[in-house]
Amino acid sequence: MALQLLVVDDSPVTRKMVRRAIGLCGLEISEIHEASNGAEALERLAATPVDLVLADVNMPVMNGMEFVKRMAADPALSRIPVVIVATPMSEDRVEEILDSGARAFLTKPFRPESLRDLVMEILGPQGAGHV
Amino acid sequence: MSEPTPELLTEVLSSVLEEAAFFMIEPEPVPPAFDGDVFSATIDFEAVRGGQLRLTASRNLARNLAANMLGIDPADPEADDQGRNALGEILNVLGGAFITRHFGTKTSFQLGLPAVADTVPEERRSTCAAAVRVDTGDLIVLELDLEPGR
Repeated sequence: MALQLLVVDDSPVTRKMVRRAIGLCGLEISEIHEASNGAEALERLAATPVDLVLADVNMPVMNGMEFVKRMAADPALSRIPVVIVATPMSEDRVEEILDSGARAFLTKPFRPESLRDLVMEILGPQGAGHV
Repeated sequence: MSEPTPELLTEVLSSVLEEAAFFMIEPEPVPPAFDGDVFSATIDFEAVRGGQLRLTASRNLARNLAANMLGIDPADPEADDQGRNALGEILNVLGGAFITRHFGTKTSFQLGLPAVADTVPEERRSTCAAAVRVDTGDLIVLELDLEPGR
């Protein structure tokens, strides 16, 4: 199954880097959508559901923590797993993010294979569309 | 808690540039000032002590940084377009890496959003600083301003 992903980050460079990592990591992808903050991501998800979201935390307008909480509170969106891709954080903050509903935390910088392993762990080999 | 050292900044700067941008690194003395066409990125943080990190590099380094991060040719116009953003993003990663290494991973902290300008303040007020030369031959300088200990 080819995946649809949503990359949420205010930095265009990071969005492109994540796109590149996705391209290198051997997952079968049908489309990668982008949003620059949590609010924009929620709008996109309302129009186009995806299989997995990769989101930063430190963003203007709506940060990743608030975004994850809104996703978890919305029955139409709560089934979509969110992986937080962010700079190193305190253990308490990572725990808080995971308790809010994020499925995993990936620290920047990361290797493409780390992303692949995480996606396969969350979606399973079939769901992850590994090629 | 001990004061941050230039050695710590050098270690953080080197490891982030090697891992995130695939540069080869050579530590250098911090230059008294930057000349020419430069970008300067700042990010504020609040932890046990608050402060600001500032990262300064030439436009050429920023272009190569963007090219390495995006996997494109430095001559690609996109590398030049994304140089500022790349410097801001690398400072964002440096901020988290510095704080967790200096204050520890059990300390809660807030990291601001990076701001990038195309000029460098004339006055240098840093608590400590580090410089490295990357394989393009360009220097990059990381400065830390830390508020006094409580």
